[in-house]
Amino acid sequence: MKKLSVVVAGTGQIRDVEIQAGTTAGDILHQLNLTDYLLSKGPNDPFFAAAESIYDKVNDGEKIFASTKAEVGVLEQCA
Amino acid sequence: MRIKDLGTRPAPATIREKFSRMLRGHGPAIPVQRRQIPYWQERGWTRQGRMYRGTYQTPYAAFTGQIEEHLGGHIDFWLYMPSNEIRNSSHWACFQHRGNDWYLVHMSKLPRDTGSGILTIERLITEAYEQ
Repeated sequence: MKKLSVVVAGTGQIRDVEIQAGTTAGDILHQLNLTDYLLSKGPNDPFFAAAESIYDKVNDGEKIFASTKAEVGVLEQCA
Repeated sequence: MRIKDLGTRPAPATIREKFSRMLRGHGPAIPVQRRQIPYWQERGWTRQGRMYRGTYQTPYAAFTGQIEEHLGGHIDFWLYMPSNEIRNSSHWACFQHRGNDWYLVHMSKLPRDTGSGILTIERLITEAYEQ
């Protein structure tokens, strides 16, 4: 088991969770009722895919971020 | 075997502290409150009304930015003086020049809050430098 602190970017609210091996990013978002959010370790790391198991990618006690989906782009040029 | 007495000297502070702690035991733990603040505030941005000012920060570079929240929920993200790395990135077409070296970052999918937008632009800048 690992403990994680999920920081909701918009409010700064911290949600503490405990995850088991095999837990996906989607599991966490669903559990926290954060639909339309994405998880990442921070601005310098990519978003976790919803089906991605994150247990091995985070450290016990680590802080990760939940932010709403956003894409920089104009038409098809850079989506 | 001959032993030469070199005299005495005080033990290092770390060892003294360790022995001292063994004698007096541990004091009660002091709970430290976590700051629960929005991402924009954590990153040092300031807010005046609907306008935010601060910097998009990455390990490679930081850029002055402004964010304007409009009535109805639309949020404009501005970036000042993008570097050559950003200009040469695949997202450069999303930066619309609006004069005086200020660029409006066009979002095809708008974030619901300023913090998520800052995260997105910081990630974009990082990607530009890692390309």
